[in-house]
Amino acid sequence: MNSNWLKKNTFHHSEFKDINRLVEEKERKKIKISLCLPTLNEEKTIAKEIIIMKSELMSRYQLLDEIVVIDSGSTDRTMEIASSYGADVYKADDILPKLEKFKGKGENLWKALYITTGDIIVYLDADIKNIHHRFVYALVGPLLLFDNIKYCKGFYDRPIARGKKKLRPTGGGRVTELVIRPLFSLFFPELTQIMQPLSGEYAGYRELFEKIPFPIGYGIETSIILDTYEKWGLDVIAQVDLERRVHRNQDTKSLGKMSFVILKTFCKRLEKLGMAELKSGFFNEMIQYKLGKDGYQPDIYKDKGFERPPIIEIPEYREKFKAI
Amino acid sequence: MEKHLDKLPSFVEAIKSMKETIIANIVFIGQIPAPTFKEKRRADFFMKRLAEFQVDECTTDGYRNPIGIIRGTSPSKPPVFVVAHLDTIFEKDIDHNYTVKKRTIKGAGVLDNSLSIGILASLPEIFRKLNLRFESDIVVAGVIQSLGRGNLRGIRHLLKTWDTPIRGAICLEGVELGRLNYYSEGMIRCEVECDISPTLGPLQKFKSNAILILNEVINQILELRLPQRPRSRVIIGKISGGSKHGTIACKAKLGFEIQSDSDKMVKSIYNDINDFVFDINHQNEIELKLKTISNLSAASLKYNHPLVKSAGAVIESLGLKPICEPSESELSIFLSHNIPAVTLGITRGENIYLENSTMEIEPMYKGIAQIIGVIMAIDKGVCDE
Repeated sequence: MNSNWLKKNTFHHSEFKDINRLVEEKERKKIKISLCLPTLNEEKTIAKEIIIMKSELMSRYQLLDEIVVIDSGSTDRTMEIASSYGADVYKADDILPKLEKFKGKGENLWKALYITTGDIIVYLDADIKNIHHRFVYALVGPLLLFDNIKYCKGFYDRPIARGKKKLRPTGGGRVTELVIRPLFSLFFPELTQIMQPLSGEYAGYRELFEKIPFPIGYGIETSIILDTYEKWGLDVIAQVDLERRVHRNQDTKSLGKMSFVILKTFCKRLEKLGMAELKSGFFNEMIQYKLGKDGYQPDIYKDKGFERPPIIEIPEYREKFKAI
Repeated sequence: MEKHLDKLPSFVEAIKSMKETIIANIVFIGQIPAPTFKEKRRADFFMKRLAEFQVDECTTDGYRNPIGIIRGTSPSKPPVFVVAHLDTIFEKDIDHNYTVKKRTIKGAGVLDNSLSIGILASLPEIFRKLNLRFESDIVVAGVIQSLGRGNLRGIRHLLKTWDTPIRGAICLEGVELGRLNYYSEGMIRCEVECDISPTLGPLQKFKSNAILILNEVINQILELRLPQRPRSRVIIGKISGGSKHGTIACKAKLGFEIQSDSDKMVKSIYNDINDFVFDINHQNEIELKLKTISNLSAASLKYNHPLVKSAGAVIESLGLKPICEPSESELSIFLSHNIPAVTLGITRGENIYLENSTMEIEPMYKGIAQIIGVIMAIDKGVCDE
């Protein structure tokens, strides 16, 4: 196991706080950087993310070239608010409309590759309550300053907003510790060095993202890590300590659904790599139970495990980016 | 002066075009908890922010009030102060993450007074954008230890140790847009604490009740004959006590303020209250104490003072109506040092003292333009007469 990786490729956000240096490097390399915020009903947090990134990384420092919001069909005012603060807002369904339509975070991230123009794409979850521009500059820093690094992942403490008032000092990361870390330990021990493989904050070069498939739902973070590792090895990956991220807590049932999809994504990759053989296929339903008037009722979540192919295989994409 | 008034409406649009910078400053600052006496992190960030916006001098005074000085073009002119208190009433463990929507910002302390500190931090950038240079130095100060037991210590210290004349001052408060304070009343803020030692055994049910004792104090305050001239009042603002529905209260606390246009009257009312608190204490053989938390002297500019007239004209030029009421903020300390000063409100909002305090974004742009208008007026000499 390459245990040097943890030491060599793990950074702290403060190492990249000289934003002028990052801007100089960006200009020297003649590249553009796009920020993508995938949304679904994020009216409480989206404005703050856009405002802070625009103020700090577009007005004060020209590190970002565009902020793009890709929405899965919010029923609240997410899109209106995002648009009022100057982000480029798109409905996922309106992008590449000839293709079959799906709903999911991975779908939004994949379609963002078509919409954005940057050579580096930064993906941030849109529900970060304590957003700070370090979430972007610290993810971009290793990509700009180290030529071998092509993909950078964030990790942090995870206090959870409890009710309306107080913060629980620590918590979260349950799916990581109960699902992903055991799986990595069993099959890819090197990857256990990645502190929070499921964090929704990461950045990478377009040339990397365009060559890997994107599961449409929760499996996206797992698949990016596994596919990058398989194609280019661990050394192209870095991780940055972003220190603290406050987010909405999710109930155990929701985490169960997330785990179901992640397990499926993981097992598929094991099979593809010849590391495991499934005698029969997967079922596509996650069955949970709830207590109703007539006793226990099944609560079924369906996931067909659909994955978008590497976007470079899509003719419209090749057409749009042929000059790049 | 009229020329400047003409410019103000166009400033509003230019300020609006900087909304990301202004809102980012409000959010960054407001999300750092700063209960009174624990403002260091917020003060450090405020200083850092001023330095990032290339303010000529960023420093702290001996009391750790963070200060930025934007150098003027005429070294002979005394400086103009723009101040806001840095502390809030919210403790550290309250969720300070703000929610920004299309028209509002919501979060603990946003209206009192994180908005004002955010604006202070944005002023250097706004001046640059509007291409404004002043003759006087502009001193922007976030003063610490202002609220409650802080008793305006930060501003008191700042002015006590500032060794050159000050041309004029503007104090900022989050609400209410149109507010124009130019006088402050004399005030003593007090607490009456009643402490009855718990008794065990059969006598327990017949002992004095701390809440009823305070009730007696309140009744006697209500019986005071307060004059209409000078205007005087006692505001009973806080009460707490007891432990269980069926248990006689052993401890209770009452908070109130004596306010008057006359310092002499404040002192006289205080002496009356002190006398009957002493009597009640003596009659009931309990621990009943009157404590002074903070105090202020009455001070005022005249309504026809050029600064008040100019500030009123600035507010009116933006289509607003000036609202004149007394203020007990930093204003009274400036006035007691004979420095012409006014307090201005920046926007509208609701739930000012609650955790879900909410400010409106759109009126804020006029609120900022008004601050600039009054700075311009002071810089042109309205306080020099």
